[in-house]
Amino acid sequence: MANSLRLYLACIKNTLEAAMCLQNFPCQEVERHNKPEVELKTSPELLLNPVLICRNEAEKCLIETSINSLRISLKVKQADELENILTKKFLRFLSMRAEAFQVLRRKPVQGYDISFLITNYHCEEMQKQKLIDFIIQFMEDIEKEIRDLKESVNTRGRLVATEFLKQFITNDAIYTEKLNVRHHSSRFSASPSPSLSNFVLRRPGELLQIPAITQLQIENFYGLGNVI
Amino acid sequence: MAGAAAFVEADNAEEIMARIETKSQKIESLLKHYKHVEALKTALDGSPPKTLDERCKSANWIVVHRAIMAIKDIEGMLNSLTAEYYDILMKYLYRGLSTGDEPTCEQCLMIHEKLTERAGLGCILRCLSDTTNTV
Repeated sequence: MANSLRLYLACIKNTLEAAMCLQNFPCQEVERHNKPEVELKTSPELLLNPVLICRNEAEKCLIETSINSLRISLKVKQADELENILTKKFLRFLSMRAEAFQVLRRKPVQGYDISFLITNYHCEEMQKQKLIDFIIQFMEDIEKEIRDLKESVNTRGRLVATEFLKQFITNDAIYTEKLNVRHHSSRFSASPSPSLSNFVLRRPGELLQIPAITQLQIENFYGLGNVI
Repeated sequence: MAGAAAFVEADNAEEIMARIETKSQKIESLLKHYKHVEALKTALDGSPPKTLDERCKSANWIVVHRAIMAIKDIEGMLNSLTAEYYDILMKYLYRGLSTGDEPTCEQCLMIHEKLTERAGLGCILRCLSDTTNTV
């Protein structure tokens, strides 16, 4: 799995190294204009063959080159609905701040999650190798970021649910069944409290109206036991 | 003039399809005898078909795809392949990578890495810039 990622990134790196040969080329149709030809696609003689590199059905990278500009579009792996939403929001957040990145495109190309537009001016100001390293690093980091975001969402969900449902736990339930009160990450420093007197809603002898729920049942109720 | 050219094209297409058929049969027999490298060479011979017909290109691609997927020893294969085949192999590798089918992509990525080490970035660039003879 890691090997296939390495091969995928190596292939993209080699292709980018070969494709990033850009020079200044003023617009042929309009005087004194200088436009990135890959975006307009007006003259076929200025465009090279677009190349699509797929790792599998979900992940792919489209590289389109022209004489003065290069466009890279990425589709990131999204395993489930939650990752879908996280990816969309996160990449939209980055795209809206495209000014700061300089090489980022404000809207991704149709069918992809994010796009880069590199022009000859970028190649003049910045080093070609560093630009390529940036793109590859970006691809590696995106996956990690999305994974971290997903983990934090799930952790918060689990914590919130646990805290909320703790109020329904009875004294008996706690001491008869072995409970694993989990220690969560430092953001929510929840330490196991031996005395849950603040959570117990009934006194011994009172009629039970709320069923006693154990910790394990809390996990299963929200289906949080098997996340990630 | 254009009409005549179109006519020649159509004729040509049939010829080429027939040639691809015979090629595929030859490759099947070579693969049965585990002669993977010869199979690949036969598949790459006469490629890309000098035609604009999509069917010919697809048919040729299927044949080359079969030969590529049968390769197990990539280093050995590249050792015995002469330099004139590098460019055309690279074009077919990119076509394989664009399919999105997982085993094809894995195989193509592996061969792509080794081929780039051997043939260099020029091979990739020739593949990108050749807009007339596409596969």
